Amino acid sequence: MLTRWVTAAYLVYLAAPIALLLVGSFGELWLNTLLPTGITGKWYVEVATDGSFRRAFISSLIVATATCGACLALGLPLAYALFHAPNPRIRALARALYQLPVGLPALVLAFGFILVFSSDTLPWLGSIWLLVAGHIVFTLPYFLQAVTADMQRLDLLNLEAAAESLGATMPQRFFHIIVPALKHSIMSGLIVVAALSIGEFQFSNLVAGFLNRTYPVVLLQAFYGATGFACAATVILLLLALTASAAGTLSTGGKARLALPAQ
Amino acid sequence: MTPAVALSDVSYRYPGTRAGVQNIELTIAPGELVVCIGPSGCGKTTLLRLIAGFLCPDAGRIRLGGDDVTRAAVRERECGVVFQSYTLFPQMRVWENVAYPLRVRNVALGLRRERALDMLSVVGLTDLSDRLPANLSGGQQQRVALARALIFKPRALLLDEPLSALDAATRLSMREEIRRVQKAQNIATLLITHDQDEALSLADRVVVLREGRLVQNGTPHAIYDRPADAFVAEFVGQANLLDGVTAGPDSVETTIGRIAMPPHGFARGAAIRLLVRPERVEPLSATAGAAGVDTNIFLVRVLRDAFFGATRQVELAVGDGVLKLQTPMRGAIERVRIPPEAVQLLPLS
Repeated sequence: MLTRWVTAAYLVYLAAPIALLLVGSFGELWLNTLLPTGITGKWYVEVATDGSFRRAFISSLIVATATCGACLALGLPLAYALFHAPNPRIRALARALYQLPVGLPALVLAFGFILVFSSDTLPWLGSIWLLVAGHIVFTLPYFLQAVTADMQRLDLLNLEAAAESLGATMPQRFFHIIVPALKHSIMSGLIVVAALSIGEFQFSNLVAGFLNRTYPVVLLQAFYGATGFACAATVILLLLALTASAAGTLSTGGKARLALPAQ
Repeated sequence: MTPAVALSDVSYRYPGTRAGVQNIELTIAPGELVVCIGPSGCGKTTLLRLIAGFLCPDAGRIRLGGDDVTRAAVRERECGVVFQSYTLFPQMRVWENVAYPLRVRNVALGLRRERALDMLSVVGLTDLSDRLPANLSGGQQQRVALARALIFKPRALLLDEPLSALDAATRLSMREEIRRVQKAQNIATLLITHDQDEALSLADRVVVLREGRLVQNGTPHAIYDRPADAFVAEFVGQANLLDGVTAGPDSVETTIGRIAMPPHGFARGAAIRLLVRPERVEPLSATAGAAGVDTNIFLVRVLRDAFFGATRQVELAVGDGVLKLQTPMRGAIERVRIPPEAVQLLPLS
């Protein structure tokens, strides 16, 4: 009985802020009361027609998509190479290295980027690709972890040996055997990457240029204005993140496993 | 005729260990089925991986059909390999698995499907061609693996403990299946196993490996009847091995007493090991005498008696030693006779 109440209380604690956001986003006026008064859809219309929000929304989509693409293009061959590294010490070292950014404060990386990329030799601060580069640093460990865990679980070394003996070249083995065998973990890895990239604030806030601020960065500005507007803008961010994971789950037939790095 | 597979003086050692194989001489004729047998860790899988090209020998030459492939890549060797764990590609249907070697050789889709179905009919799996591997039994998976390894007409078929993951009943029928398909395709084959029954019943020729060295190479009959040393005698079949000293040109003094045998050619007083197969030891009841012969008859005491239906395995105390005996006879055993012609001497190894 007690455990049930504790569980219920915890669920309320989790859901309450989101519920309040939803309520707030449809409320006409919300000043020093527990709940807002009046019902309206105008805040959503305002967010949708706000130029900086629309630009931020598109920036976020571009950054998330590019980060996913880069994780796929970099992470998959990297995971494959790591998996085939003959020396277990090299594998352990590489693993420790690629997991480093998980524990790295975003602030540190952001200051590093600002120092390096505001110089005359590399004057790229403010470019959207620099933002993508930073997001790759943060998200790649999660993607690698999802994929390498699956590689060890599947009998990939033997499958590849079989394919090789049957006459398959290295690219044929990679695309015919490895990639299809890993498609579930690749999808679940990409969902995590997309969700992290869409929600990332600390790093983006410091490194993004004025014209390519991502959605969470612009969202912060909204809280200096009308409460209903801020709520509606936040709900949209929430929907964006949910859509990404729903799309991923659907595309893998509900089999996606969320894999987080072992700390 | 050029052998399909020829290894000359091949050695390989796993870096940083003493494990591997040394000075291996082995040939497989076209259409021949050679079974390589040995205890785990003796290097038999290493031998297969060397031929397939997954390992590169430290010394020696490997030829396939006369071509030197010692340094060739795995895919250039064109050996059909069947692994213990089946290694079917999980996302491909049965026929796609079988057709995969043709796919990587750019054979057109229609043709490779047709040839995959032909090959599946050879192993009797035409009905299951659209299934996924996960929906097949172990025996069926291994037959798909066999079909896949044969479809591209490889230069040799290499089977790495293909039956060890199967249950006992399936193993027997699969053994017959491998033999039948191998003969039908007439392909040089090396099969690795640690199961002596498999080796004796399947092979045209058996090679016995011990600690990385090839200790005997011969027909199943030769391996069983004339083992090269005590290790082979004990590893292939049951064996009574008695330590002894030669007492004359045709007799040996052992722990169970003096045993007469045909002239053995060892010097008098040489320390040797004597081999008698348990099924060659003749049980005698108390009353029945061995008419006309009185050599090599010993009084015995039964230590253990295990009944297996068709046969009975008995452990007997004889003199200061122990003798194993295998017989269909049901009655009490009080004496045994060891026929002189059933006795062989092996050098101490």
